[in-house]
Amino acid sequence: MNLTFFLQNVVNALQWGSFYALIALGYSMVYSILMLFNFAHGDIFMVGTYIGFALTTAFIALSAAGIVVLPNWLILILTIILAMLFTSCLGMLVERIGYRPLRGGPRASAAITGLMIGIILQTTVLYIMGAQRVLFPSLIQTTTYNVAGVAVTNIKIMIVFVSIALMIALHQFVQHSKWGMAMRAMAFDYAVVPLMGISINTIAAMTFAIGSALAAAAGIMYGMAYPIIDPSMGILFGWKAFVAAILGGRGSIMGACIAGFLIGFIEIFVATIFPSTLRDLIAYSIIFVILVFRPHGLFGEPYSARLRL
Amino acid sequence: MHHSESTAIHPRGTLDFIRRFFANIPLLGWLAGALAAVILEQAVGTSLAHALGLPRIPVLFGFLIFLKQPALIPGALGYVLVSNILPVCIVAKIGAPLFNLLSRSLFRMPIVVTAVVHLAILYAIFHIWTDVSAYRLIMLKLMLISILLTLSLNVINGYMGEFSCSHPGFMALGAYAASLFTVGLFVNDRLFGEALLVSDFAVIFFPLGLIFAGLVSALGALIIAIPSFKTRGDYLAIISLAFTFIVKSFLENLEFLGGPRGLSGQPDWSSLPMVFIIVVLGVWIINNFVTSTMGKALNAVRDDEIAAEAMTVNTRKTKIIAFMFSAFWAGVAGGLFAHVIRFVNPSTFGIQKLAEVLAMVYFGGLNSVYGSIVGAVSISLLGEALRPLEILKWIIIPLLLILVMIFRPRGLISFKEFNIEKLLKPRG
Amino acid sequence: MRTRLMFGLFLCGVLGLLLTLSACGDKDSEEAPRQTMQDVIRIGFPIPLTGDIPDVGESTRNAAEMIRKQVNDAGGLEVGGAIYQLQFIYDDNESKAESAVSATTKLITVDEVLAIIGPQASKQAVPAGGVADNYKTPMISPWSTNPNTTLNRPYVFRGCFLDPFQGPVAANFVTEEFGATKAAVLYDIASDYPKGLAEYFRKAFEDIHGPGSVVAFETFTTRDVDFSAQLTNILRANPDVLFVPQYYNEVPLIVRQANSLGWNKPFMGSDSWGSGDLMGLCGDACQGHFFSTHYAAAGATGATKDFIDGYQAAYGKTPDDVAALTWDSVNIMLQAIRDTGGLSGNLSRDRDAVKNALGAIKDFDGITGKMTFTPDGDPIKCAVVVQIDQEGQFSFFKSVCP
Repeated sequence: MNLTFFLQNVVNALQWGSFYALIALGYSMVYSILMLFNFAHGDIFMVGTYIGFALTTAFIALSAAGIVVLPNWLILILTIILAMLFTSCLGMLVERIGYRPLRGGPRASAAITGLMIGIILQTTVLYIMGAQRVLFPSLIQTTTYNVAGVAVTNIKIMIVFVSIALMIALHQFVQHSKWGMAMRAMAFDYAVVPLMGISINTIAAMTFAIGSALAAAAGIMYGMAYPIIDPSMGILFGWKAFVAAILGGRGSIMGACIAGFLIGFIEIFVATIFPSTLRDLIAYSIIFVILVFRPHGLFGEPYSARLRL
Repeated sequence: MHHSESTAIHPRGTLDFIRRFFANIPLLGWLAGALAAVILEQAVGTSLAHALGLPRIPVLFGFLIFLKQPALIPGALGYVLVSNILPVCIVAKIGAPLFNLLSRSLFRMPIVVTAVVHLAILYAIFHIWTDVSAYRLIMLKLMLISILLTLSLNVINGYMGEFSCSHPGFMALGAYAASLFTVGLFVNDRLFGEALLVSDFAVIFFPLGLIFAGLVSALGALIIAIPSFKTRGDYLAIISLAFTFIVKSFLENLEFLGGPRGLSGQPDWSSLPMVFIIVVLGVWIINNFVTSTMGKALNAVRDDEIAAEAMTVNTRKTKIIAFMFSAFWAGVAGGLFAHVIRFVNPSTFGIQKLAEVLAMVYFGGLNSVYGSIVGAVSISLLGEALRPLEILKWIIIPLLLILVMIFRPRGLISFKEFNIEKLLKPRG
Repeated sequence: MRTRLMFGLFLCGVLGLLLTLSACGDKDSEEAPRQTMQDVIRIGFPIPLTGDIPDVGESTRNAAEMIRKQVNDAGGLEVGGAIYQLQFIYDDNESKAESAVSATTKLITVDEVLAIIGPQASKQAVPAGGVADNYKTPMISPWSTNPNTTLNRPYVFRGCFLDPFQGPVAANFVTEEFGATKAAVLYDIASDYPKGLAEYFRKAFEDIHGPGSVVAFETFTTRDVDFSAQLTNILRANPDVLFVPQYYNEVPLIVRQANSLGWNKPFMGSDSWGSGDLMGLCGDACQGHFFSTHYAAAGATGATKDFIDGYQAAYGKTPDDVAALTWDSVNIMLQAIRDTGGLSGNLSRDRDAVKNALGAIKDFDGITGKMTFTPDGDPIKCAVVVQIDQEGQFSFFKSVCP
């Protein structure tokens, strides 16, 4: 394997891993703070992408009709902000309807509720949008730069940088803000937090809102990188984010990020080195082995009674 | 739920009256009523349906008609009433003294005999009911298989309290192993060439094939059971999920089993008696397993592993046995499944299947044999009955499940022991 | 108490919703009930309306509904002097093998259809074909390429050509047209159709150019969207052409990603590219590439043009290969019903007659080519190679017959 080839794959894996990391981040927020399997997360990501699609299409139509003429970069920024906003509302709604009534119940029941909410979201989008796939409008013309034989596109660069920026922002928020402290407190001890005058409901809603907003951001970038979207695109991402969040370890939001990138790298490099038919077999075997040797994930706390279902 | 004065309001009173009215009927009576109803349907069902303006016998209690042809609803309702509900109630109620008498004399015999008599009647009901329509037959077979599958998952997810996502993998292993056994040995096939054993009575080897299927899955289960010594809960959940993905990818790469094209040509050996006997046997054995000391050990591991260890429960042995036992039955269910569909391919055993089994287990109820039966039956029935709604079905079923989870977080019938004696005893 | 009341209310709500829905009914229910068994021909469609590939089910239903309206508006189908109305029953197979089996059983035994069209994907068509053959009901799967669908099943037919034919067509074409000596293949290993085609392409290409001339044989899994690792491998192997036997919704991603990694050589595709949506999804990136298919949409004449125009007018989009093959399959089934020379009303005898008529059809002039069935129930028909031209039209380039 020569260096150019290796670097090309690193670039590929960085882009691919960014999606896993961003989606896993939202998953891990809910998982670490509320200890819930949010199986609807992949579908919230899907809805976020569709909201982005609708907004972009609307803005482009407005521009084309000459009502509000906006440059493409502004459309992109507006879309990202609005889609994050709408999707976080959806996240809060999901929390209110599907998870809050089950707080204190068995965690596995909440997992089933999540699965079912996911199916409802998929079906609703399928019902509204029809079965045909849609093309996410391209706002930025793809340009390929060739750096010493490694092909890099402007979209790849943007995706990696925006993802990392969002991760750092979230890290700052969780570590240094008042709300972040409340969240960490809740992750640390669920029972004591209300005694400190912090409303569990507020924190839970906020956790879902932030996680969903991140999913929406990931969705729009996904739409730019892989512009063909359909209602069941979230399923696989949801399950892989589940793997990444837990592989990262409970209580470690940044661990989920690293695990997301790790899964991206494993998938790309296994497909590169081994025959690609064996990709899933080897990739999941690696994850399997990691967990056998690190039974609490990469950065998780050791066995605790609270992890039980 | 505590009882208060308000429970005496009128609707409750009617319900209570109905309950009291039917209270003296033993299970035997209900079975006899159902038997009478299906015999009646077989004898005069078609003419009754024609008389009520229906083109043919409503196969699924009229559900398909309710959703598809509103003009025929009164006829279908009438049919269900006349041919299903009334005969069952009337025969059961009128014959109650007689059935109680019979039930009492049966009850004096060993419990096995009593149970076998009840099961034989149940089988007769199924047999006559499915005789009317092949669609009922295929539905009933798939339903029985999903009972076995759900119950076997309940051993791990309910009794042992893990969140295992490995059942599609176990089922796939069983389905392929059983298919390999039957197609390889008994069928002239493109992949495996001439049949090794040709016999008209080859079907008697099918149970052997199913045992082989179960053993292969049980071996597969070791891969999960051993990490489960150290890994628990969430981490085990993704180990088991990875296992499902690994099995699927492994089968896709096995060219001699057809790879992604799948394997077809299984002989038609999953007949109703075969499925019925295997499933009843499975439910019986699983029920004995979970009510034995082993089952208590499982609950102990679920509730507190360290305390269980201190109380001399060998947690490692318990976990290994539970996983292998559960996987064995999942494998058997997979083998039956492959021979009902007569085709297997790796993509059948993916995320979709996982969501389906998990829904059945948690809908029905954790830690309960009744629950698994109820969950599997109701989800399969709903799935078939609402099929004409097409896409809306996938809003209604999830909605129903969410409601059940909200109001009964542990499922419809959870933590209830399956007591055969109590079930079969005479009432009055 | 409160929770129980709430639960009851919710259940009532769900039931109410159900009843309202059923009361609204669906379109074909108004004409269904009042017709007797005599003047209706029922055909069943166990198709994927939900699940992984709802678009396939939608295309099938669209094409079938077009025919049903056409025939019924013209008064009905004349068979041996009697006029019959067509009634098509669509049942959802949820893209699952077990649901395909139960839906097909239901259509055959409960709805008592005369014939079955569908299921489309092989993982449902193989088991459903077993059911149809078991109940001696003629079935045409328009889209399934797996040999097991029709193998040793006298009652089961298919509408599409098989991989052993299409694979060599593509291999020969890239050899003659591009002078390719090294080829690469990228396909979905978890899906029947791409895998079969990829393997036959490799075999045919290596027969011409010798072993090892397929320099990269890369795979991914259904629903993957990132192909960068595989494409990077392919680029490193430096082939002359890239064969992508994938569906039209995956092709744009592959083509764009390949371009952004620096690929500038031709792509070769298969009939699954043939959807009007391809250009909508792919834009300019797909222009200039070739694929083998059933007909050339650009400059189509006669029945093919009528079909494309009619479909466009009814549903606002150009038909894909599923719709075209379904159209032909339904028409060939209706032709076979007409050829029986009259229906007796005895279902099993009629089904037998239809099956025999299907086997006897010679050179059926469909929009996807002239078709004759082999004794196995597979059609013999020509393929055309089309090029995606500058306007995004699929224009005729070459015709290849077996």
